[in-house]
Amino acid sequence: MQQEDVFLYPRSRLKETDLTLASGIQDWAEKEVVSKRLEHQEDYDLLLKPALQKLMVDIGLQSVLWPEKMGGAGDNQTGSAYTVAAALEQVGRADTGIGFLASHVLALQASVAMEGRLNEKLCKDLAPVFGEGKEPAVVSFVLTAYGEEEGVPEWRGKCLQVRASLTGDEWELNGTGVRPTCSGSDADLYAVLCAVEDEDEPALILVKGEAEGLTRGAAFKKTGLAASLNADIGFDNVKVAPEMYAWAGSDSVRHLLSWFYLGLGATAVGSLLAAYEIIKEWGDNRVIKGTGHVFKENPLTASLMADAAHDTAVGRLLIYNLAEILSDPEAYGGAGSEGVFATASLIVHRIYRLAEDTLNHIMELMASAGYAKEWQLERYWRDIKTIQCHIGACELAKMDSARWFFKCETL
Amino acid sequence: MTTIDDFTRPKEYLTPLDTILGGIIRDWAEKEVIPYRREYDEDWREHRKIHEPMKKLLGEYGLQRVAFSDDLGGWGLGGSDYTCVAMYRMFEEMARADSGLGLAFGASMWPLELITFKPHENRRLCEEFAPMFCETNEAVFSAMVMTEPQGGSDIENLELLKGSTIRTTAVRDGDEWVINGHKLWASNTGGLARLMAVFCTTNPGSDDLNDFAVIYVLSDMPGVTHGTPYEKAGMASDMNSDVWFENVRVPLHYRACGPGEDAKWLGEIMSTGNMGIIAWFTGSMLNVYEKVVEFVNNKKYRGRPLKENDAVAGTLADYASTLEALRILGYQSARMLDRQDLYGERWRPQAVAKARAHRYFAADKCLEAIGRVMNLMEAYGADRDRDVEKHWRDLKILQLVEGSKQLCQVEVARWFYECETL
Repeated sequence: MQQEDVFLYPRSRLKETDLTLASGIQDWAEKEVVSKRLEHQEDYDLLLKPALQKLMVDIGLQSVLWPEKMGGAGDNQTGSAYTVAAALEQVGRADTGIGFLASHVLALQASVAMEGRLNEKLCKDLAPVFGEGKEPAVVSFVLTAYGEEEGVPEWRGKCLQVRASLTGDEWELNGTGVRPTCSGSDADLYAVLCAVEDEDEPALILVKGEAEGLTRGAAFKKTGLAASLNADIGFDNVKVAPEMYAWAGSDSVRHLLSWFYLGLGATAVGSLLAAYEIIKEWGDNRVIKGTGHVFKENPLTASLMADAAHDTAVGRLLIYNLAEILSDPEAYGGAGSEGVFATASLIVHRIYRLAEDTLNHIMELMASAGYAKEWQLERYWRDIKTIQCHIGACELAKMDSARWFFKCETL
Repeated sequence: MTTIDDFTRPKEYLTPLDTILGGIIRDWAEKEVIPYRREYDEDWREHRKIHEPMKKLLGEYGLQRVAFSDDLGGWGLGGSDYTCVAMYRMFEEMARADSGLGLAFGASMWPLELITFKPHENRRLCEEFAPMFCETNEAVFSAMVMTEPQGGSDIENLELLKGSTIRTTAVRDGDEWVINGHKLWASNTGGLARLMAVFCTTNPGSDDLNDFAVIYVLSDMPGVTHGTPYEKAGMASDMNSDVWFENVRVPLHYRACGPGEDAKWLGEIMSTGNMGIIAWFTGSMLNVYEKVVEFVNNKKYRGRPLKENDAVAGTLADYASTLEALRILGYQSARMLDRQDLYGERWRPQAVAKARAHRYFAADKCLEAIGRVMNLMEAYGADRDRDVEKHWRDLKILQLVEGSKQLCQVEVARWFYECETL
């Protein structure tokens, strides 16, 4: 059954190309991921690499938002927010971790290649990666984090993990024990939010994976997101060409994060859709032996299944509303405005809370089958929790909301 | 400095052995488990690393003997009126290191509970099985094999279904039972357990509780086949698999308590088992508290320790409040099961319903609290090296052990509201 038939959402602004892309990804999901999961359970890399190649290069997800004149599909207008939502919910339905990786790529492209924000020099330099690339691009972000030392520059209370200074005509980056969002051990490109010497506002500087002075640790073990081989990294006088300086300023940080949240939210909705499919099959086929009821016909379990459906439907509505807001900056303000950022932040936190609750409840309904790897639900449960951690503490994200909704001045 | 020992336990309930028992297991946890537990997840199939601390605790320290009487080489806990609070302390200390180890130990006690606890001690079986546990320094596990394909936790719903859905059969043939059936998911299966207590029916489809039987089977008996362990989201220390019984012959006296009595005393396992689950929750919460304290002291937000942010402190307070309340609840639950003279016999539906109520409340509150502090740790919350995420994965599974949440809800509703058709 097509999910669109069940979980209604505003899709009148989806273009024909968006629907074709989503359909292609749905087909990819079945052929390259869902049908191969059990086969590659022991070695996920055997699934991941060909799947990423097909998704990012053959289907072309990594070139969709890239400017046409630089080898991309040229959908680098704000209206592509719908494209991102439609595509990433299908990716997330197949594999939350791959959705997480793709969210990085699309958010970075929205940040540097969108009409009105196009950084021509940078994009020319990155064209071989995104526009003409024959390999899937893995992008990692270095954002703010809790600090441990005194005197570290901050953005909104959290530390900027890397310092940048201009030496001659090159940027020089330094930072130790840096925790990226994903793929620390194997990213092709790191988008690093830096504290710039003598500047109040942070800047985004891109560093290629092979840069001299960039040290990458071994991938550490974590709850989920097998697609991301994350590791702490270090910058020891890493020299970066001036073209790799993307932008500076809080408005741009918020712009990047708003689009990142769109991708992450859509990925979570995809995971909810997958969980819905799993519990639907369970509810249709499982028989409660004592009463002879099909599982879904028991009022208690039906009530919980209904809750899961409600949360999935609400999550989907929220993410397409965010797509609408990002697609029309004239009506709602730019993605970097405080209002849009606060909205994107509250939506992504809410969706991940819905997803966490829903996956918890579905796991409870399925009991041991819920946490057995064979049934696949537990993978979504672990992945969603891992991303939720990366989105950040809701206690602190609420400060963004409070600043916007209540005009707080000292938070 | 505030420590985990500052969380309240009702001191008037504690067993005189509390300090000694707790100290031994805490020392074991610190030396034998905590330094190695981050490698357990990859050891789910073989238990090479996981087995070492269990060998020490169960075999060398002798915890596997606790339920047997003194004269059989045991510790006599099966006849004590401090059994549950003593077990609570031991379970909690184990779970602080790894709740899966706690479950493996607790689940190993369940089959023995049926034959060692007074007043239903089965002396003949105790004498027969005690040497297996008491005369060795090797870890010896047992398993209570209940769940069946397409049955799920229905089988535990004896009060309503009265064993009518059980498909594993025990047919009397002369002086033997002949057992046939297929079981799933029991703790300590996968070839680990040497002794299994198998839930059977002597009359398929019957709703007469006299036909419900718990019969012991040794793992190496002809006709017993163990499946390979299941891979799960966590709880690597708790090994589970399919077990098949094909014309397995055991002596007639291997039935635990007898017609009607097997079903009756199963209630005791359910109530004490649910109490144990609360102990594993609070034990894990104690360790998460330790880890979170370290984190919020060291990590800074706006230049100050994270814990000094008011919004963060609110969440930290919620965590501490939850742990404080659940620990008191858990010890109270344990003491209620010990003081049967005051609170009623622990096999009765009332005791089972209350233990389930305490357990599923504790599970919900614990998981909510741990989930929130994990988020608070942001990019580090999901790191294996921070230890919190392991507890989070393990405890979610623990929430669903010995009956799903919905089964708990139904049993609670049935007793407190006198529902008749649930």
